[in-house]
Amino acid sequence: MIKNAEIHIAKLFWKITFKNRAVFILTFIIGILLAYAVFSGWENFKTQKKIRVMYQEQARQDWLDNPDKHPHRMAHYGHFAFRPKTPLSVFDVGMESFLGNSIFLEAHVQNPTNFSEAEFSTGMLRFGEISIAMILQTLLPLLIFFLGFRSLAAERENGTLKILMSQGLNRKQLLLGKILGMILVMSTLYFPVIIITVFLWGFLQEMSISMDETYRLLVIVVIYFIYLCIFCVMAVIISALSKTSKTALTSSIGVWLLLTILLPRAGQSLGSYLYRAPSKAGFQAQIEHDVLRTGDSHNPDDPHYQALKDSVLAAYNVDSVAQLPFNYSGLVMKEGEKITAGIHNNHLKKLREVYAKQNSFSRYLAFLDPYMGIKNLSMALSSTDYNSFTDFQDLAEKYRYHLAQSLNDLQIKHISNTARSSADPASMLDRKHWAQIEDFKYRPPGIGSAFRNELISFLSLLFWGLLLVLILGRLFKTLRIL
Amino acid sequence: MKLLFANFTRSNSVKIGLSFIVLAGIISLLVGKQHIEKTNRSIEETARHQQEHIERHAKYNKDDLGLMLYYIKFSLVNHTPPLNALSIGQRDVNPSVKSVTIRTLEAQKYDADLNNPYNLLIGNIDFSFVLIFLFPLLIISFTYNLVSEEKESGIWKIIAVQSKNPLGFVLRSFGVRLFVTLAVLLFLYAIAVPLLGIAPDRALQAFFLVSVLYILVWFAICFFVVSLQKSSNFNAIILLSIWILLVFVLPAAINNDLQNRYPLPEALETTVKQRKGYHEKWDMDKELTMDKFYAHYPQFKKYALPEGDFSWLWYYAMQQMGDDEVSEQSAALREKLGQRNMTASRIAQFIPTLHLQLSLNDIARSGLDNQLRFLDETGRFHEKLRLHFYPKIFSGAPVASENWDDFKVEVFSDEKVLSQSGLYTPLLVFIVLFGALGWFIFKKRLRRL
Repeated sequence: MIKNAEIHIAKLFWKITFKNRAVFILTFIIGILLAYAVFSGWENFKTQKKIRVMYQEQARQDWLDNPDKHPHRMAHYGHFAFRPKTPLSVFDVGMESFLGNSIFLEAHVQNPTNFSEAEFSTGMLRFGEISIAMILQTLLPLLIFFLGFRSLAAERENGTLKILMSQGLNRKQLLLGKILGMILVMSTLYFPVIIITVFLWGFLQEMSISMDETYRLLVIVVIYFIYLCIFCVMAVIISALSKTSKTALTSSIGVWLLLTILLPRAGQSLGSYLYRAPSKAGFQAQIEHDVLRTGDSHNPDDPHYQALKDSVLAAYNVDSVAQLPFNYSGLVMKEGEKITAGIHNNHLKKLREVYAKQNSFSRYLAFLDPYMGIKNLSMALSSTDYNSFTDFQDLAEKYRYHLAQSLNDLQIKHISNTARSSADPASMLDRKHWAQIEDFKYRPPGIGSAFRNELISFLSLLFWGLLLVLILGRLFKTLRIL
Repeated sequence: MKLLFANFTRSNSVKIGLSFIVLAGIISLLVGKQHIEKTNRSIEETARHQQEHIERHAKYNKDDLGLMLYYIKFSLVNHTPPLNALSIGQRDVNPSVKSVTIRTLEAQKYDADLNNPYNLLIGNIDFSFVLIFLFPLLIISFTYNLVSEEKESGIWKIIAVQSKNPLGFVLRSFGVRLFVTLAVLLFLYAIAVPLLGIAPDRALQAFFLVSVLYILVWFAICFFVVSLQKSSNFNAIILLSIWILLVFVLPAAINNDLQNRYPLPEALETTVKQRKGYHEKWDMDKELTMDKFYAHYPQFKKYALPEGDFSWLWYYAMQQMGDDEVSEQSAALREKLGQRNMTASRIAQFIPTLHLQLSLNDIARSGLDNQLRFLDETGRFHEKLRLHFYPKIFSGAPVASENWDDFKVEVFSDEKVLSQSGLYTPLLVFIVLFGALGWFIFKKRLRRL
């Protein structure tokens, strides 16, 4: 038994690796890519933020500038919700490019979320985007495989393994030493890079970083370290199981391709193949169908609204709506808004359930493929995932509903039943009311929601840790020396 | 030659590689088929929906054509040729159907489709993916250890001594692999054509030709790397690095650059401004709006503004102002998108993977270029509807006077002719360049053991 043999082996592995000139070249290339990722991500964030903030303010100003008007005209004037870009999108762009950025919020209608970057992109976008996360998720694992494929296989080929063992080293020490060495090499590359990146990011933000962002970044740094450790162990295991360094290399490349290119696409394709999502026309037709069934405020003979009218007339003991002490058409619209919004939300919920089923393959795939686990986690922590998007959509819809109903209330309260139309000068409401409806302000949820949504992804990383420990446990006994 | 062929195809790794690519290819065809079916279903649903909608509103609003046209939507379909299944391109992001009312176009023109962003993020396994991403890997796995493997196992000495022309041996080895790869490609096409009902026309021919050239580009690259006669491990790492550079790093970096170089503030500007352009007219003197409207359409001057608070003539004139007052921003947005597209194609000439993706999208009518022409056509379609309905609304024509059965979904078919030399030349240049380089290096170094 040699004392601290693991540490010796690890140090030696580290030294040998960094004597190799190719390592410096590869690290240098990845360093340049990272720098480019930070700057282009930052550039994009800055421009987009400026554009969105500017037009969000413009939209509010236009709203406030409206003169005295019929409240229903204001309900159609509406407002815009522009999705703010999160600062951490510089780190991981996630789905950003495929998510819409602008919703027009008006009465009666749930408008689509428009103007995603993808709608205006060439086919180029499909090759992916460069971000720090993409480099850490795909390129670093490959670099780790390149650095690690020789670790045991080459020594077995040379016969040095035999010599080491005859000197009293055991298998466990050997494997642990190599793994430690790999992790040491990876850490030498990872920590300086990630620390510089984080500082650069903070510097570009002018150090105005919230507590929530700090937590998010800390967790990101830790989980990526765990993710890369998984690949270090995998690299050594593959090398241990391969007869020659050549088979170790080709197997490593095969595993990398499988994990980062093939499985993700296969999983998502299978999900969307099995669970059919409705087309836009089909989705809208369903909603319309339900609205017509429940009560169509546009149909003069609709039974639901006829019943509403009868009950209101009876309650106030009058024979026509003109005699009511409040604006009746405002009441009808309030009822209509309630019905259509409820039905729409119901269908949207169902649609999202279909999407969730489609995505469930990618989610659970994380137990087979750590790449999917880190991808989902990293997006969630950077607030560039689907849940962050639906959170925005939901709050925008909530605001839209509030806007429409506030204006309906104003109409019910202030507008006379004898007004001829919304163009009737006698039915104008004082403009002071417009400022009383507050602006749309989106506040993203805290880090807690990311943990709740991505529990599976966390578990998958844990699972991977355990799995590799088990495999190692076996190898401690069975590693072939010759 | 026969021996070389038998030796090659008997290897286990080759069999695995081949069955893998065939499997991936067939999956990609099924994905493509599903895409086409989804699009067709969506078109059918739109057509049915439009008809029902028109019928219902013709009943509810039978006395008010202006009110009826406030509601009903008319749809234009972007024709989806079967070839689209092989290269889905941007057709999964962008809707293949646009439905518009005759109100302000700018408020509806960019309405997004319903889709699951996770699908878009991960990307389709369509045939273009198999061709662009996976075929090169197959080619690399076939060729990375040619010569080097023989050298490492000592066989090369025998070949070099026995054969008068060792380069001939190398070329024959490459030839066998090229033959097998092309056979697989042809096999996949042979399934695709009947499965998807692709017409054997010039588009298919162009599609096939660029695929073959792309495969030749990768053979040329591998030929070049093998000619350097380094170790098998070195070749594998270098070829994989080239692959990563061409399918990940360069396209992604260029995409980031294009996004930053052409940001699109015009999109939000147009959408915010058109709202004001229309709505503020409610609070203005009617004459002001009508003067502008008559200036745009002098032919409607004969319809004078009726008395009263409200009229459809005034209403649609106001809606028209939503479009007219952002025409500048809208044109600027269109121009910038055109520039994005142009710049992308120009840069793509130097990157075969990008060039192939953009070319396949162009041939299959699924790229940004097609989308832009579809948007332009949507504008013309909308204008046509306006010109048809405006005089009827303004003259108070009854709803029943219109033959509503005539308003079926219309189809836009993109017939832009693609430049043949633009498609093939960039790939040919790469083939000649790497092929020739490999040839010279081989000539110089092959005798060395």
